[in-house]
Amino acid sequence: MGGHGDSPKAAERPESLFLPDFCAAGAVLAVVLISELVAVVLTLARAGIGYEVPFWVDLARNSLFMLWIGLSSAAVLCYGKRRFARLSVGHAAALALVMLVTVTAVISEIAWWINSYWDSLLLPPDDDTSVSNHVIYLSRNILIALIVSIGALRYFYVSDQWRRNVELEAAARVNALQARIRPHFLFNSMNTIASLTRSDPVLAEEAVEDLADLFRASLMDSDHLVTLKEEFEIARLYQRIEQLRLDDRLVVDWRVAGLPLKAAIPSLSLQPLLENAIYHGIEPRPDGGTVIVEGRILDDGRLELAIENPLPDGEAEARRQGNRIALVNIQERFRLAWGGRGEVEFGPSDGRYRVCLRFPVTERRSAVGIGAS
Amino acid sequence: MKVLIVDDEAPARQRLADLVGDLDGYEVAGLAGNGVEGIELAEESGAEIVLMDIRMPGMDGIEAARHLASLEAPPAVIFTTAYDAYALEAFDTAAVGYMLKPVRRRRLAEALERAGRPTRAQLAQLTPESPVRTRSHLAVRAGEHLSLIPLADIRCFCADQKYIAVHHGVDIDLIDESLKALEEEFEEQFVRIHRGALVALAHVDSVRKDEKGQLRVRLRGSDEELTVSRRHTARFRQRLRSG
Repeated sequence: MGGHGDSPKAAERPESLFLPDFCAAGAVLAVVLISELVAVVLTLARAGIGYEVPFWVDLARNSLFMLWIGLSSAAVLCYGKRRFARLSVGHAAALALVMLVTVTAVISEIAWWINSYWDSLLLPPDDDTSVSNHVIYLSRNILIALIVSIGALRYFYVSDQWRRNVELEAAARVNALQARIRPHFLFNSMNTIASLTRSDPVLAEEAVEDLADLFRASLMDSDHLVTLKEEFEIARLYQRIEQLRLDDRLVVDWRVAGLPLKAAIPSLSLQPLLENAIYHGIEPRPDGGTVIVEGRILDDGRLELAIENPLPDGEAEARRQGNRIALVNIQERFRLAWGGRGEVEFGPSDGRYRVCLRFPVTERRSAVGIGAS
Repeated sequence: MKVLIVDDEAPARQRLADLVGDLDGYEVAGLAGNGVEGIELAEESGAEIVLMDIRMPGMDGIEAARHLASLEAPPAVIFTTAYDAYALEAFDTAAVGYMLKPVRRRRLAEALERAGRPTRAQLAQLTPESPVRTRSHLAVRAGEHLSLIPLADIRCFCADQKYIAVHHGVDIDLIDESLKALEEEFEEQFVRIHRGALVALAHVDSVRKDEKGQLRVRLRGSDEELTVSRRHTARFRQRLRSG
């Protein structure tokens, strides 16, 4: 198991790919527009007193120059796309910035040389093509490129973050519905209750009450936070129902004494994990097994909840298609709630399957409802 | 009519038993908690109809039904399941009877009335979609009796004229299957060592090179040494290392 720096592996594109795909037509159009905008601003800034070049001629010249830089930059970013994926956001942005400034510097240099052969093709007519003017010209262009690039990168980053959050929230909502109650569990519970109504009406009544509370909890908003105590209650409701069906094949070992019970946690983050553990780890084993729910406070003050189940015997059972919807869903909700401080890790370890939740302890006043008295 | 109920969950068994008991003309022949128990009880009790849960640990319902189909007088089988989206399509395709739990009284009466014996061909259609592709047990028929050998106990399959000798524990049983089909079905657990033998990787005790440079394998629970043919040496070594 890695340190806290290990972020969960999500099947999403890396965050450093915040730039749009510059190989695609849409992004190229955006580049053309940005280039034109800068060209217009530059021309406007120069137009007026003491500058005798007509406005339209100057604009045409600036446009040609800016488009040249803009399209070359797009080509370079398109080419460098794959490299960005492997970097952190900061490094990717820095690399993109260096690329853009380099492109501008190189093209400015070429423009300068072209201009010394064909006078005033790309630069305003100027008798003085001295070295000091050359340096001023280059540094001016590099500075403008730096400012415009920083602005553009920031714009792309913010709009990408915004889109990412919208997507995440939408996906979390949809997945939440699918992840919460497995049809398998619902129908098996119904069957258990049908059986109990005859043999043990009191137990049947309790099972219906438990099931009702569980469903009420599952109908809450996916971004709803509850206290740890309430989340434990829901998980125990669930365990009670499964216990009726699996009897002594199911043992759940709760090692959660001494945890801050008022800590906030997204509702239904523990129950689906318990459900997974039972479905994949206990049901396929003829003799059942023990699920361990273990909680502790980490050195950095965060809370860690681990759910562990034995791996099913035999190769064939191990191949059983895993339902990762629940895990991915919880991962998304932890990210929405705590950003990088909320982690979900999962995988086999020492012959058992272990899911680890880590999140900061933030107190939450007790919510209303949820079956817990 | 005698009805046997096979389900791993006690409340589910109880419910079906209650319902069958309510119907005229049917009696509960027994309750079994998994596939292996179900096959034993089916033989013992002489049940004519088996209500078989699909998803059970150990041996699942589909495999149990396949073994039952090899009995002299196989019982009719009706599968039961609470929810199995993938399985139901296969059941419809194969035209094998099934019921959804919780089962309705009327639906149960109809199903029992129409209960039929699934043929091996029908059952074979179910396997590609079923969660467990390989059998957990091999069925050996000795006269009327069907005995089951757990796959984990099998040391090796050795071709013996027209049959395959299954070596397990201190016994050797003959089955009428092809070595090639067995190799494909159990490719994860077994490896071919020469033209006529598959050995279980889990049972390999020691491997040594003889004077002629050929590998010789000793299996746990057996004194005999088997020779790995040159053609299969590389593959055998590789499997042994990765397994």
